[in-house]
Amino acid sequence: MLDKKIEEARVAIRAQLDTTDNPREILKSPAIKDLYAQLSELPNEEKAEAGKRINDFKNEVISWVHEATSSESESSVESIDITAPWSANVPGDQTANPLPPSQGSTHPLHQEIEHICDIYRRMGFVVEESREIDDDYHMFTSLNFPEDHPARDDYDTFMTDEGLVAPAHTSTMQNRVLKKFAANLENNEPIAVIVPDRVFRNEDLDATHEHTFYQVEGVFVGKDVTVGNLIATLSAFMTEYFGEELKTKLQPFYFPFTEPSFEFAIERPEILKKDDSEEQKWLELLGCGMIHPNVLREAGIDPEVYSGFAWGNGIERMVMMKHGIEDVRHFESANLQFLRQF
Amino acid sequence: MKISLKSIKSLNYIYETGFDPYDYTPEEIVEKIGLQLGNVESVEDRRGWYQDAVAVKVIECVKHPNADKLSLCKIDDGGANQNVQRDESGLVQVVCGAPNVSQGMFTVWLPPQSIVPSSRTDEQPFELDARELRGEMSNGMLASPKELALSDEHVGIIVLEDDGRYQDMQPGTPLTKLLNVDDVIIELENKMFTHRPDCFGELGVARELSGIFGQQFTSPDWYKTATIDNRALATKNETLLPIDTVNNVQEKVPRFMLQSIANVEFGKSSYQTQLNLAKVDIKPINEIVDWTNYFMHMTGQPLHAYDYDKVVSLSSGERAVVTTRMAEEGETLKLLNGKEIELSADDIVIATDTKVIGLAGVMGGSETEVDENTKNIIIECGTFDMYAIRRTSMRHGLFTEAVTRFNKGQSPLQNDRVLSKITDWLWGFAKGTLASPMYDSTNFDLQADNLNHVIVKLNFINSRLGTVLEFAEVKKLLESVEFIVSYHHDGSPEDDPTMIVTAPFWRMDISIAEDIVEEVGRLHGYQNIPVSLPKRVMKPAPYNPIRKYKNDIRTVLSKQGANEVLTYSFVHGKLLENVGIDPEEYSYHLRNALSPELQFYRPSLLPSLLAKITPNIRAYEGQSNNDFALFELGKAHVKGHQDETEKAVPAEYQRLSYVRAADQKSSKNFKNAAYYEVKSVIDVLTDGKAAYLELDTNKHPITAPFQIGRSAIVEVDGVVLGVVGEFRSEVSKTLKLPTCCAGFELDVELLMKHRKSPVYRKLSSFPSTFQDITFEVGSDISWSALYAILRAEFEVVDAEDNLLYDITPGEIFVPEDSDKKRITFHIELASYEKTLQSSDVNTILETISKVAHERLEAVRI
Repeated sequence: MLDKKIEEARVAIRAQLDTTDNPREILKSPAIKDLYAQLSELPNEEKAEAGKRINDFKNEVISWVHEATSSESESSVESIDITAPWSANVPGDQTANPLPPSQGSTHPLHQEIEHICDIYRRMGFVVEESREIDDDYHMFTSLNFPEDHPARDDYDTFMTDEGLVAPAHTSTMQNRVLKKFAANLENNEPIAVIVPDRVFRNEDLDATHEHTFYQVEGVFVGKDVTVGNLIATLSAFMTEYFGEELKTKLQPFYFPFTEPSFEFAIERPEILKKDDSEEQKWLELLGCGMIHPNVLREAGIDPEVYSGFAWGNGIERMVMMKHGIEDVRHFESANLQFLRQF
Repeated sequence: MKISLKSIKSLNYIYETGFDPYDYTPEEIVEKIGLQLGNVESVEDRRGWYQDAVAVKVIECVKHPNADKLSLCKIDDGGANQNVQRDESGLVQVVCGAPNVSQGMFTVWLPPQSIVPSSRTDEQPFELDARELRGEMSNGMLASPKELALSDEHVGIIVLEDDGRYQDMQPGTPLTKLLNVDDVIIELENKMFTHRPDCFGELGVARELSGIFGQQFTSPDWYKTATIDNRALATKNETLLPIDTVNNVQEKVPRFMLQSIANVEFGKSSYQTQLNLAKVDIKPINEIVDWTNYFMHMTGQPLHAYDYDKVVSLSSGERAVVTTRMAEEGETLKLLNGKEIELSADDIVIATDTKVIGLAGVMGGSETEVDENTKNIIIECGTFDMYAIRRTSMRHGLFTEAVTRFNKGQSPLQNDRVLSKITDWLWGFAKGTLASPMYDSTNFDLQADNLNHVIVKLNFINSRLGTVLEFAEVKKLLESVEFIVSYHHDGSPEDDPTMIVTAPFWRMDISIAEDIVEEVGRLHGYQNIPVSLPKRVMKPAPYNPIRKYKNDIRTVLSKQGANEVLTYSFVHGKLLENVGIDPEEYSYHLRNALSPELQFYRPSLLPSLLAKITPNIRAYEGQSNNDFALFELGKAHVKGHQDETEKAVPAEYQRLSYVRAADQKSSKNFKNAAYYEVKSVIDVLTDGKAAYLELDTNKHPITAPFQIGRSAIVEVDGVVLGVVGEFRSEVSKTLKLPTCCAGFELDVELLMKHRKSPVYRKLSSFPSTFQDITFEVGSDISWSALYAILRAEFEVVDAEDNLLYDITPGEIFVPEDSDKKRITFHIELASYEKTLQSSDVNTILETISKVAHERLEAVRI
């Protein structure tokens, strides 16, 4: 029965392929959809086998498309010996045409991330990477965001059709790094991790807003870790980063995954001051706080015994201030005139 | 959340809360809030805005001789202003365009040189002057409520005697004496209060301010104490306007209370009340609605007023029916904002027995709206499930003041207090009669303990904060904002007492010890906490190998003149299609993408780079060196590929993608096909270990853009790392790529895994001998086939004779019209034992040539 249906579909699609200008169209043929529709009518025990047969057939159709599209262009192309080091019949020096080394550059964001990582590494932090596609559990639930909680409104999160998320903060890695390094605690060592990586927010673009940007997440957990430790650690980083001792300020804030939560500000370094106004006095750099006991518990760490702090700060703004970059959109523009300046 | 310091001051004046913000300067308050409460978004200091504004009497009012819509007025300011031109009777002439200006009225005059208050927040505040308008001198202006920043009303100038309180005022009275206008409005960031329902009321913010200034706060009695029993008693005999009410969704509506009031008389609110609302961005409507909003803004508890008679007319019988229930799918409701919405079964609604009359906790319906003809009203004071309210609000795109408060989770214990307070208030103001008992869906047992208690040790607080606070200090801090703190007699040592902290009912956020830590830390002031770096063990933090390796790649490639780029992780489906990738098949699709440009996760980085070639070629158009390479280190995702260890999430492939492109002019210098240019980069990255296999299909998304015949699969140690090559002409055409263009995409993790580690061989003290060897082979024989034989044979020679060897590729020559090609290699040989003679070398090369001939019919020439 199924064989017959597949055969009919094969004939129909072949015919369509012969007449169409755009071979890709056959992938959207209703004949394929009909075959999949058949599946639901089959008894359960036959479904797997039938599904496989239909998939095989779909792959066959895909290969027709590839044949059809590649044969269109291939005819005019001269093949080369792909294993050779260079082309034939090149007189003299055959080696490649190098680009001028002075033209090369690494990305300013990565330069800055490396600079930041270097400081934290010297302070004893391990560097981990984040994910670009994650699940709701890591992005929200493991971080003490209940379903439908208004705190979720502050994270305009991209979602896939499957309900996966494009992480809106590097905290999406907190649960994983806490678990990964939990053994440290048993050895009387703290968990000290930073996660610098790419995050996403569903925000319209302008000169100061990007939907894709970079954050450094920091996590520190141990015995008797205090708010005073949090302030001291971040201050130590800032002093090293800006090369001068700067006054710091904590402003109470709210995050579901820290209790208490703060915004951390430093006295604006002289070189970054536009004027002496009150607005120019403080530079709000990051959100931070003592890790919420539910977050520790979710990672299997006893909040009665251990405590810790976490923070996250954006990288683009630091680079923009440092170099006087006027538009955040330059970073992902792949514009050589921008990139070659770094 | 906007707060007015005048309003907070008057809370102290009326209810003796113990906190007067005017004991401090606004600057001190703003700084203190920043340190101990949350972010201040804006400060609107209205002091000085009204210093010249005075009440005036319009003595004369005639039509302007040269303008139809203007009036020429003579006003009496009681001589208040010194710097203005007056007529012989001491009156000031002002031209006025308002339709309601009339002789004998009292209004407000803004003299020349004063600034229009509503323009104070503009970039360029508007300063008035004395000037001719159509030939008549006009000194300053008569102002509307809007121009005075009192409310949005702008149909005419303010009519002071409309407000009963100003009947016997004298011309020249400063406006600051008539209204509480000399205010400071502070806007606090809402996000800070996500878990603080109480701080969406001015009472709550006043309490916090008091606490952080170290002052004891005392909530008004009516707010602290449940009053329902008294009220029920007072009205039990009279039920003029009965309500049949049922709460059908107790689990989503913890409390639902109603009270009817008969024969209300009301109109517009006083200017003061309008001002109180307008300055915190709430639109004044009428006295009834305004008072519900006023109490909401004071307590954080939203209230709603219905027209009783309209409710009755929508009920089946003669009595008003007001119930809560879930909406039926597809039911409709016309809202107060004029919009008609289709309800979902997830929405909580307020309904009569025949019809939905309100979207619970979000917005009332227009059919039961209180308007100028309303005689009898119902006040609703409910509590609704914060999660349900948020879903409903998101679903219908309705973000109201009520939503802002309900979705933080208001306490159901405050309903009776707020409802009885407002009914009392309205009773006084609107002359109504209480016309029903206070209906309450939930009989809270008032004797029962409904409060949250947290048991916490003093040392826990100190060890989390890094402080050395004493019990008495902690107790005082918490009590200043009306917590109750007591010793827990559990035998704890004197220096580490356990305490029981009882949260007041409005503090819905307090449930665990860490909440008390936060409270103490904040009230004590984080600026007062001693700081110290955490202790650390002398153990090196391990390197992250993949990150280090990626940085090595960055260095290598940039030193070779390539430019690192970053491009978005999301791409247009069209771009994928253009390179031959079916997005539906291979890519995760974003259901809430900003634009089609960013709809699909990329299964390969290369298309993003290809899309960036043309703009860069164009940017350097005409320049002699329009030749560049872009590379990106990033992640790719293929739909359906799951992570191997963490099954719930997709696999993330670490990729390195690289393209080289040169325009027509620059590519003329190229000796080799672009393919070989990029291949040489892989040779560098793999230390020459890579093998190149014919690409024979474009099926995999990573291979889709590549041209068969001019592309290769890259393998190291038999493991496929990726693909390198030139692009299909179809791809080049649609993406307008230059002819000289090639690229590759490799898996970085595999590349790292198959890195070559150096193998040292002792150096020879004898000189090397150099010799070239050239073979002629059939044109179908690949270069690497021949090279592989040479390598293998030299390995044999090395093993047998202990010789050091090196083979470097030489020229490849294809004679015209020949089916043969000649391949040359440069050979370097050295021995550990002697200086090799050319005869020694030749013997070796002869042997090797024989093998090459046997296997590939290669002829040494």
